[in-house]
Amino acid sequence: MEVKIENLKKQFGQVIGVKDLDLNVRDGEFVALLGPSGCGKTTTLLMLAGIYKPTDGTIRFGDRVVNQVQPRDRNIGMVFQSYALYPHMTVFGNISYPLKLKKVPKQEQMERVERVANTMGIGGLLDRRPGQLSGGQQQRVALGRALVKEPDILLFDEPLSNLDARLRLTMRSEIKQLQNRLGITAIYVTHDQVEAMTMADRIAVMNQGVLQAFDTPEDLYDRPKTLFVAGFVGNPPMNFADVSVMAEHGGFTARNESIRLQVPAERGQKAAAAGKVRMGIRPEDIHVVDEGDAVTAEVVIVEPLGRDAMLDVRFGSDQFLVLADPQKHIRAGDQVKLHFDMDSVQFFDLQSERSLLWN
Amino acid sequence: MAALAHSDDTPGVLDVHSLLRTIRNGLIVVVALSLIVVILTAFLRPLIASVKVDESVTTTLAQLVILVLPYIAYIAAGSAVRDQLSDHPLRAVLTALLATLVLFVVISIGHFVFHLGPFVPTSSLEMTFTEAEGGALVESLVPGGVAEEAGVQVGDLITAVRRDPVTSGTLSALIARSAEDSPFRLRIVRGGEETQLTVRTVLAGNDDLGKLLPGLVVALIVTAVAIFWPGQWTPYVILLAILLPLLIGYFWLIIATFSYRTEGLIPLDGQGNVGGWTLNNWNFLFGADISGLNVSIWQITLNSLIIAVAMMVIVLLVSSMAGYALSRMNFAGRRAFLSFTLVLHGFPAVTLLIPIFFVMSYLGKVPLVGEFIGFNKPVGISLVMVAFELPLGVWLMKGFFDNIPWDIERSALIDGASRWRTYWEILLPQIRPGILALGIFAFIGGWNAFLIPQTYSTGAGTINLPVFLRQLINETAPVNWNQVAAVGMFQLIPVFIIFIFAQEYLLNIYAGGTKGSS
Repeated sequence: MEVKIENLKKQFGQVIGVKDLDLNVRDGEFVALLGPSGCGKTTTLLMLAGIYKPTDGTIRFGDRVVNQVQPRDRNIGMVFQSYALYPHMTVFGNISYPLKLKKVPKQEQMERVERVANTMGIGGLLDRRPGQLSGGQQQRVALGRALVKEPDILLFDEPLSNLDARLRLTMRSEIKQLQNRLGITAIYVTHDQVEAMTMADRIAVMNQGVLQAFDTPEDLYDRPKTLFVAGFVGNPPMNFADVSVMAEHGGFTARNESIRLQVPAERGQKAAAAGKVRMGIRPEDIHVVDEGDAVTAEVVIVEPLGRDAMLDVRFGSDQFLVLADPQKHIRAGDQVKLHFDMDSVQFFDLQSERSLLWN
Repeated sequence: MAALAHSDDTPGVLDVHSLLRTIRNGLIVVVALSLIVVILTAFLRPLIASVKVDESVTTTLAQLVILVLPYIAYIAAGSAVRDQLSDHPLRAVLTALLATLVLFVVISIGHFVFHLGPFVPTSSLEMTFTEAEGGALVESLVPGGVAEEAGVQVGDLITAVRRDPVTSGTLSALIARSAEDSPFRLRIVRGGEETQLTVRTVLAGNDDLGKLLPGLVVALIVTAVAIFWPGQWTPYVILLAILLPLLIGYFWLIIATFSYRTEGLIPLDGQGNVGGWTLNNWNFLFGADISGLNVSIWQITLNSLIIAVAMMVIVLLVSSMAGYALSRMNFAGRRAFLSFTLVLHGFPAVTLLIPIFFVMSYLGKVPLVGEFIGFNKPVGISLVMVAFELPLGVWLMKGFFDNIPWDIERSALIDGASRWRTYWEILLPQIRPGILALGIFAFIGGWNAFLIPQTYSTGAGTINLPVFLRQLINETAPVNWNQVAAVGMFQLIPVFIIFIFAQEYLLNIYAGGTKGSS
């Protein structure tokens, strides 16, 4: 089922929850709504579910405008962060509840619940109550309940936030595989960018009720269209420094009082006209080198991450995060030489905060 | 240092250090409590007396402290050795008992010096007598004592005090109970002739050392109990002591309903002998007209039941729905409604009795339903009480609904349930403990209601049990309290039954709820 959101707006009294949202979700696509808390992503999801009525704009499921359609007539399944299982019913009761409300015959109810429960790996727990289940099992029951009525659209509201890290990893791939196999359109709200990046076909990044970008994970990471997206996507986050890009000696140079870097011509060209710009570079594109044409910086903090060591370095007035080989045994207070790999450097306009490269 | 270590290691029969420490503990208690007595009697009492207040509290307190002082000292001695009990049981017990003996001597000397305890001065006629046929035979006289001065001689037979015949035992008791300087008109047979002599009692110092022996035995027993007392019982014993007055009340109720009359907790028959068990008090169950109202007890019980059930049903229905609306829906005036309900909850019902009477008498004129909800009708009466109970119920229910996460309700709506069905199938089961609690409170409130039924029911046909109970307590005729107790007991039975079955829900009020959903 295709979902088309046009000009969607939601206002709670004076507070604007969602502003002028346009989003097209293709049939069978997995879309993540990503953003910090309070950005309007859950509000959008609840409008899709029919719990909230939009203040303005339209929501279309296929060709049908569903603005005023009751939740039960939308044929959607939803999984909540708190699982929202009915504590007084057994697992069977929970999963079969949507079917019971649809007046599906008893025999068919049993078959369908059993099938879903087996898919979810909770076939042996049907007569338990939610209180007797672990978090992961409860999550599976909630997913089973959402799937059992064969919905056109699956809505997820941060379904993995309450699980421990390891379980989150397995559930992540399980949900993705399931959605892939069943081909159901899925809209997934999360504040965890790793979740969004790994699961979604496309990610809608929201901030303060406004859609910032709607792109594939790769595009968001390599070609961020706004400063917010560049700073929000990626962990550890992108480093920023204000520089001027100038044409020099047939090439382009980005410089401020402490750095002076060669920029590839194709990127430098677009940034050179704008005067003072904000340069963005990801921590993994900065390397600690022993010698060469490099910037010297002082290490403030070292955070060992296992595979890498994250260095908090300072040069001039800028503070950057850099990933280094832990074998180098760098300590706080050391002086290090940094080489900037400028092939994937980003430039943003200081006023509009939009990318100078990708608009 | 070495000597000390040596004495600690030797498992001798007695350890002097430990004995001295134990005695010291006891003495600290003695000194501390004595100080309290001194403060009470020597400072507080004159102070209070100086502002001309007639008071007996300090005296009573001082007497109480004097009474318990020795026992607390012995308990202190006993508890002091408890930690050694497992290592050297024999030594611990011996130490404690020896310490007790020392403390007993100290305390007894104190008693002797200050004329306390066993040495407290008692009333006396200053003569001794033994049991003889027909009375008490005078055995000896204190020289110059009151008896000798009044003319009593050795060999006199005291047959009666005034006209009441006495034996040696009853005479001793009479003397002991009399106040200082009370006259005893003794009827005396001397040499076959009967005379009468009046002797006035005096307070005589009591120096009978023989009385100390039982005291010592008690002291040692108290110490032994203190040594071996299971510490975990202490809170229960204290709680039981506090609870005792309440328990005695219920105990009396049960005894009274099955006896002719009672004196304290002792059932008595018509002649004043112990016994007098009877089922007559329960006659009202089988048609006996004990109130003179000529109405069956079952009619009254039915009225009570109608009021209670109607109240429970209406309160539950209205408060659960109102609570849901207030918790989940946004409408104009919601906030004002909430605060207004809270004010209503504190509103004294009595002030509205007269306006409600007018409302009820008009309601009674409404065709059809007026038959049920008007003045002097059980349902009408319960409606009034429902109105007073609702503010509490609505707030309680709102609180319970507030605790159910929104997501559960949203989930039900998405699953395909209507709002009504969500309320009924998903939300209500989750606040079952709250529903049960409120239902029970409303039922018991209706069952025990007195003021409103008393006001709005006239005649015998519509009264409920509490009003009936009030009718039994007649101002002019003697009241059969045992019968009142029986009716009260009868009224209590359903309440007991409800609590026996519902206490599980009332106690587990947190269990069901929204557990497991998060």
